[in-house]
Amino acid sequence: MNSPAIAVHDLVVHYRNRHGQPIEAVSELSFTVQAGEIVGFLGPNGAGKSSTLKALMGFVEPARGHAEVMGLPAGSIAARKRIGYLPEVAMYYPFLTPRETLRLYGELQGLRGRSLRQEADELLDMVGLGPAAGKQNRHLSKGMLQRVGIAQSLLGSPSVLILDEVTSGLDPVGRRELRDLLRARQRAGTTLFFSSHELAEVEMLCDRILLIDRGKLVEERQIDELKDELRQYAFTFSGQVSMVGLTDQLRSLPGGLTQAYFDDKESLLTGLERVHEASAMLVDVVAQEGSLEDYFVNAIGRAA
Amino acid sequence: MNPRAWVTLAKGVVLESVRRKDLWVVAILGFLIMASAGALGFFGMSGLEAFAKDLAGTVLGGFGTIVAIIISTRLMPDEIRQRTLYPLIARPISRFDLLMGKYLGAVAVTTIAFLILTALVGVSLAMFKVGYEPVMLQYVLVRLMGLSIVCAVGIALSLVMTPNAASTMGFVLAFGSGLIVRALVMAYETSPGPMQPVFRVVNALVPQYGLFDLSGRAANQGWGPAPAWVVGTLILYAVGYSGAMLALGWAKFRRQAV
Repeated sequence: MNSPAIAVHDLVVHYRNRHGQPIEAVSELSFTVQAGEIVGFLGPNGAGKSSTLKALMGFVEPARGHAEVMGLPAGSIAARKRIGYLPEVAMYYPFLTPRETLRLYGELQGLRGRSLRQEADELLDMVGLGPAAGKQNRHLSKGMLQRVGIAQSLLGSPSVLILDEVTSGLDPVGRRELRDLLRARQRAGTTLFFSSHELAEVEMLCDRILLIDRGKLVEERQIDELKDELRQYAFTFSGQVSMVGLTDQLRSLPGGLTQAYFDDKESLLTGLERVHEASAMLVDVVAQEGSLEDYFVNAIGRAA
Repeated sequence: MNPRAWVTLAKGVVLESVRRKDLWVVAILGFLIMASAGALGFFGMSGLEAFAKDLAGTVLGGFGTIVAIIISTRLMPDEIRQRTLYPLIARPISRFDLLMGKYLGAVAVTTIAFLILTALVGVSLAMFKVGYEPVMLQYVLVRLMGLSIVCAVGIALSLVMTPNAASTMGFVLAFGSGLIVRALVMAYETSPGPMQPVFRVVNALVPQYGLFDLSGRAANQGWGPAPAWVVGTLILYAVGYSGAMLALGWAKFRRQAV
């Protein structure tokens, strides 16, 4: 069996405060990300997301536990050769242009000559920075700098993309373009692991989410399963129909109408049968997508 | 070790420095020196060639040292403060490679600045009808070796203390090393026997920048260039001391959480 793209085992990351006392940012965290997956890493501010990503990149040394990327020790030069990384805050040399920035990072990635120049220009075009490729970074907007960051993370066609707050600073058009770009990378076999506060983006992009709080894994869910679970069904009818045992979420509407809400499809179908059996009039049936934000708040609340 | 990464990083430092117009400041400074020399020449200073050369050597050494300290002590703290460090250390290079690249970049910028100043000071000296002699070339090369130590010390200091403290300490060491060394020699000579090894060790730890100042030799006609073995020893000292300083910086930086 192939080793997972990312494997984290009992990871503990400490920082020291001003008095030298250790503060645990990540606490015995374990998870895996399979090759070709897109996994969102969610959690409130200070949950330990960036610390985990930094440990995967080798920017901080774990106090305990270990992590691997593509079967290689996280942070090793061999592992970093296969990773594209986007830092949380996109800052690039202010006096260099995006083209020079990409060439500099490309050379450090081991790319050279014409192929590097070509790849840098292609990536800049891909992220929509072609016309601004010759402007110095200090003249670029936050969103444009984020695009520079995304382009540099794609240099050398990495097997794994680790993206910290990937949609930060991007407008809706930019987000859509980014989604398309990342999906195309996934189709080409790249594994994506990213943190974000943009739950809508996570929902649209991810196969799976990992939710952490206070350095610990709170939940791990397939996004399709979660969406099914969060989806609510409702229908509106007129007349007297008992919904006992199916739902207690009933709302009276003007005109003698009643709206019934169901948490799952089976209850909805049983409810519809009862309406039919009671010869009541069915006015409408709707499926409402659940809010990932509510799920997020509830899950964090349950873990607290 | 990845020497290609060193060159890439050094090129980046030079390009940033050129774009930031650091070297313009140096050129303007050089032109000011030239203008001052021109004014002195206008009022007549014939017969003071040795003084002019000595002064030129001091000015070059002083400004070269200032440039080296300012450039080297801000490189690494700027990377951390501006957060430009992350995309760099995410690449498949070691932190040692990063440090070496930055060091070579600092040395390159300092060398370019020093050569610009040297050229402009050379024009100033020409106003006093002072011609170039081989010892002047040796002065420049040896001074550049000394400045490479200043850069290594600057980078090491910037990794173990705050940027302001690092530049202050860099200036104290660069401009006070002569005084410090003289004080240590006096203390060594006047202290009781058991204390003498301590002063010897401290003296060995202090950078001996004075060894790299051949301005006296360049100013006084007839002294001629320093012998090859002296230059060879200075090269060994520069490589050894710079290496030790970079090793110190690397020891701090290699596992530092960023």
